[in-house]
Amino acid sequence: MNITRRDFIKSFFVFSFFSSLSISKTVASSSFERQLQPLPHIDIGGVIRPPGAVEENIFRSKCISCGVCVNICHVMKYNSIAISGIKNIKNFGTPFIKDMRDFPCALCMECPKYCPTGALQKIDKEKVTMGMALIDFNLCFGWNGDVCLSCSKACPMGAKIFDFYHGQWGNQPYINENCVGCGLCVKHCPLGGSAVKVITRQRYQTVKTEYLTLFKGLLEMPLEQRYNLVYTQNLPEILARGRIIEREYR
Amino acid sequence: MKINTLRRVFLSLIILLFLLQFLRIKILVGSLSGSVLIWSLNLIDVFAFLESLVATKDFSEKAILSVFPLILLYTIFGRSFCGWVCPMDYIFEQINKINKKQKNILKPSKQIGYILVFCFLIVSFFLEVPFFTNYLSHLTNFFRILSVSILGVLKFPVDISVLYFSLTALFLLIGVEFFFPRLWCKSLCPLGKIYGVFNKVSIIKLKIAESKCSRCGICDKSCYMSVKISDSNKPVIRDTNCIYCGRCVDKCTEKIIKIRFGV
Repeated sequence: MNITRRDFIKSFFVFSFFSSLSISKTVASSSFERQLQPLPHIDIGGVIRPPGAVEENIFRSKCISCGVCVNICHVMKYNSIAISGIKNIKNFGTPFIKDMRDFPCALCMECPKYCPTGALQKIDKEKVTMGMALIDFNLCFGWNGDVCLSCSKACPMGAKIFDFYHGQWGNQPYINENCVGCGLCVKHCPLGGSAVKVITRQRYQTVKTEYLTLFKGLLEMPLEQRYNLVYTQNLPEILARGRIIEREYR
Repeated sequence: MKINTLRRVFLSLIILLFLLQFLRIKILVGSLSGSVLIWSLNLIDVFAFLESLVATKDFSEKAILSVFPLILLYTIFGRSFCGWVCPMDYIFEQINKINKKQKNILKPSKQIGYILVFCFLIVSFFLEVPFFTNYLSHLTNFFRILSVSILGVLKFPVDISVLYFSLTALFLLIGVEFFFPRLWCKSLCPLGKIYGVFNKVSIIKLKIAESKCSRCGICDKSCYMSVKISDSNKPVIRDTNCIYCGRCVDKCTEKIIKIRFGV
């Protein structure tokens, strides 16, 4: 058989084109956009940076997109950091935590140790401010007459972060402002699509009052009204989400 | 052993070390613009450091500590990064073999590279983003393609648009290389220009026994970076464009060109 170099290079380019297509297909099928978001009216408000990131603007000018943090996260077997795409062209090439439902940050604090530019800085686990986790009270089992506490068991900070409001509706968990935003509670929530959402700190400052009034309103709600809310609205929604997830996994 | 084969072995060794990080073997983690060696030594590319410095307008101790080992390395080895470590050198060589007839029509002066370096630094200063390293750099894009495609196939979370962007950038560069051979390396690449400055102070040099030279001119023809070796009438060559690839050393009929270290 006679293969000239020209043929070889041609076939190489064709091969690389098709292989990139197939890669994109597998990736697209694996990470389908999850429709079942908790707190659908609150958006994340930007991107969630790896732990130890300096302030957003300074981070952007320090990060050279070398990929050390991404690969170290892979070496540590957590795989939570990804490189952000061209949707937001200013953030292109910078690291962020992509999929907290499956790959949350485990706070191993290896990436800030090895970041060569100083965009991620070595700090204590407790002082990390990646984001702020919010519980969707309409979906959480603990707020709807069940005992779950999966989120508080998964939390690496434990009692520092979780407040419990014990009452007629069970042990109702609430995440206070000491939250580091690692997203382990998002992963370990048993509800379909998770009942916890992590948003950035800046976004939290804007939705804080709204969220707190919702929280206080639920605590002070009369029993009759709360009963109606749980049984006519919340529980059917929780069950429906469970069924959708079940169908997807099947 | 020919220097060319030695060079290829060295390049494949470096790429292999970088690929081992996807098997969770932690010898060399990161990419060629910034990496960690054996979990102890942080390394950062010199031009990336400059851009990051200009963008932040602030000294970062960690970045200086990371760039220092490389400055030390380049004061010894000069611009040999381009010839020995940069994967583009191999890719461009294969591209050039396809169209041997293509002659480079454009012959820009050496200064245009320095102007480009200055332009990228200005852009980084005003956008507050390390512009070249983040979007255009062939090293970053090459390693982004590797990382995103491998992690994507293993079904870990990746953003697939990064792969498209990096592939487009790299193919554009290959297109430029196809029509204007070695234009990028010779006169445009800002990374190469920065390493070229190190060539002036580096310990490595080309040594020529001028008296034995038969003036065949084969060294000038074989040189990829069009360094004028036979014209110079100097026993020692420290040109900013020399990448110490050793093509002239291999091709020389009298075997009088040698790569040597010395002040």
